[in-house]
Amino acid sequence: MIEKALKGSRGYWAWVALLLVLIGLGISAYARQMSLGLGVTGMGRDISWGVYIAQFTFLVGVAASAVMVVLPYYLHNQKAFSKIVIVGEFLAVSAALMCMLFILADMGKPQRVLNVLLYPSPHSMVFWDVMVLNGYLFINLISGWAVLGAERKGVPPAPWTRPLIYLSIPWAFSIHTVTAFLFAGLPSRHLWLTAVLAPRFLASAFAAGTALLILITFILKRVAAFDAGQEARSKLAVLSAYAGTANFFFLGTEFFTAFYSNVPAHKQSLQYLFFGLEGHAPFVPWMWLSVITGLVSVGVLMAPSLRRQSNWLIAACTGLVLSIWIDKGVGLVIGGFVPSPLEEIVDYMPTATELSVTLGIWAIGLLVLTVLLKTAIAVKTQE
Amino acid sequence: MSKFLRTAVAFFIAIAVFAGTWLFMQSGHGTAAAAHAAVPAAAARVVPVDSTRCIAQTEWMRAHHMQLLNQWRHDSVREGNRTHVTRDGRMFDKSLNTCLGCHASNPMFCFMCHQYANVKPTCWNCHISPMESNK
Amino acid sequence: MNQDRRDFIRKAGIGALAGIGAAAGLIPLFALEKTDLSVFSDKPVPGKTRWGMLVDTRKCGEGCTECIVRCHHDHNVPDFGKSKSEVKWIWKSGYEQAFPTASKQFQSSDLAHRKVLTLCNHCAEPPCTRACPTEATFRRWDGIVSMDYHRCIGCRFCMAACPYGSRSFNWQDPRPALKTLSPAYPTRERGVVEKCNFCSERLAKGQLPACVESCPEKALSFGDLNDPKSEIRMMLASNETMQRKPELGTLPSVFYII
Ligand code: SF4
Ligand code: SF4
Repeated sequence: MIEKALKGSRGYWAWVALLLVLIGLGISAYARQMSLGLGVTGMGRDISWGVYIAQFTFLVGVAASAVMVVLPYYLHNQKAFSKIVIVGEFLAVSAALMCMLFILADMGKPQRVLNVLLYPSPHSMVFWDVMVLNGYLFINLISGWAVLGAERKGVPPAPWTRPLIYLSIPWAFSIHTVTAFLFAGLPSRHLWLTAVLAPRFLASAFAAGTALLILITFILKRVAAFDAGQEARSKLAVLSAYAGTANFFFLGTEFFTAFYSNVPAHKQSLQYLFFGLEGHAPFVPWMWLSVITGLVSVGVLMAPSLRRQSNWLIAACTGLVLSIWIDKGVGLVIGGFVPSPLEEIVDYMPTATELSVTLGIWAIGLLVLTVLLKTAIAVKTQE
Repeated sequence: MSKFLRTAVAFFIAIAVFAGTWLFMQSGHGTAAAAHAAVPAAAARVVPVDSTRCIAQTEWMRAHHMQLLNQWRHDSVREGNRTHVTRDGRMFDKSLNTCLGCHASNPMFCFMCHQYANVKPTCWNCHISPMESNK
Repeated sequence: MNQDRRDFIRKAGIGALAGIGAAAGLIPLFALEKTDLSVFSDKPVPGKTRWGMLVDTRKCGEGCTECIVRCHHDHNVPDFGKSKSEVKWIWKSGYEQAFPTASKQFQSSDLAHRKVLTLCNHCAEPPCTRACPTEATFRRWDGIVSMDYHRCIGCRFCMAACPYGSRSFNWQDPRPALKTLSPAYPTRERGVVEKCNFCSERLAKGQLPACVESCPEKALSFGDLNDPKSEIRMMLASNETMQRKPELGTLPSVFYII
């Protein structure tokens, strides 16, 4: 089937070429990081995780959100989702792949990565995360591919795909819950040490992931003349709006608990991110941009008259993805390290090398997504 | 099977999986043993050790020193079992420094052979090699 | 040798070793023909001993860095200065930084300016070992939270988990940042995490930790917390002491007299 990705228009090849250039840039930056060490990034003793782990966190959410099309289609027989379900599954595959690449990029000794499996440590949340992420990638890849293959032959999918797809539903929740537990179980990182982190991760994932999915359907409509359907989109828009609302509700509860209780440790990270702490305020404009675009986007998605218009829908989805990307893909991880355990406030600024590696990994993910979707669309449109 | 029975079995399996997972998670991470011992360590045993001869035959060492060092590393770093007893009853500290205690007299001892065999062990990335310490 | 020290060595069951034999086989240049291995007891009983330290911050001299210099020299800790790549095993922090939840209002100026030695607490319930996915950091049979540099994958989970900032990552090759190499102890490699090891290499030889030994003011005491008759337990019983962030339930093995 994969050979279908080898036939394409000039625009398709230009896109692939662009991605390959970005991947090359990323690989050369990574080679530099490998030879000089992680010191070439902006991370340091006090802020010991940066863009890589933040992107990982955001992308686990994108991967998990495939469940928002799989669940209604397979469990509730929502026929409107028949065309979009494969897009969701393949988006999950590429997002899960990017997650693993980001973890690898963040490791000081990537050549020893198999130690995680050689010395399985069930008390470590990383162990579980590696398990569930790999599992999720393969469940989605195998089930999506098998269903597509069956469709190409014009036969119903093999009976074993169904339990696999059902399994992917709780599995999607598990990947993001375990990812939240990576953070939420660490004592004395007060921004993360909260029971609402896992629900909030799920809510923001379902908001941003579905918004991203809507945007992808628009892109596919434009560049591949493949329309997943207006109905699917508007249903997803509603899901995204409610998930976004839940996300901001959870954020609000964090603020209430921290500021009403007035416990300094609980307030400090939020202060640093949203208002600035002792003169350090590098994220303040970004965080407010995130909150405002997020709230406006949710508002637009909530209004039926607005979300029915493509332009409004595109704008609102872009806004929501951006908002959650800033919140989760930047603020949450870095804010958690401020102040440091010794009450120091250290600022973090990613370096060019770090950003190039990040861009390279995104390009790898997009390339995989492009190839998978190209195949899927070729099958669906019987080219 | 009746619907009820199926539900019950499913429920039971879910509980079992949950409990199993929990036990599994706990297993790797035993809580601190609160053993209060009046005598903190084993009584001293005085064993004179002869280090004029290597712990094993040259041929054996040539072929197996890497496995031996790996085993020593595991025993002393992770188990606290630091005494190596040879076949003929001599005792040695399980440490790379025990080897170097004799072999460092020729700073090229490790390197010549490794170079000849074209292997690049990572030991000297951290451990100070005789070439450096004899400087 | 003073009484405390002799007491310590006897308690550890390694009295016979206090002499020169200890160094043999461990420092290549001084290897002796005959080695006394009585110190190396076979597989120890886990949990029997729990090494601990007591820091008397009143005695600790202002501006004195003896123990820090000695530790960082003996363990080949690279000096990157106070940069983001800083590596440190033991260092001085302000009182308020070391005890952030202690009372801060209207305190004496002495306390506000007091410097407190900070190092890995060798917690009895360490969050770092819980987070580590490879058991590269693990709690030993004698309560020391140890690092296995051969196994560490450099994921830095332990750094996020440690509530005391006790861990440092090797952001770059440490060797160029070492002025002198101390041959008895290895260096580290780029990409692994390191921290204080309570001088486990010295304990194996029946010696006190380097910092304890080097302190000119005798501000540091070291011993077995599981032994009610040990000197450190006596001192804990007769002084008012503090642990860092006790509210987190990590049960630090390093105590402070303020
Ligand atoms: S102080 Fe930090 S590094 Fe040391 S044992 Fe406790 S948690 Fe681990
Ligand atoms: S950096 Fe090393 S010691 Fe720390 S958690 Fe990761 S593998 Fe374990």
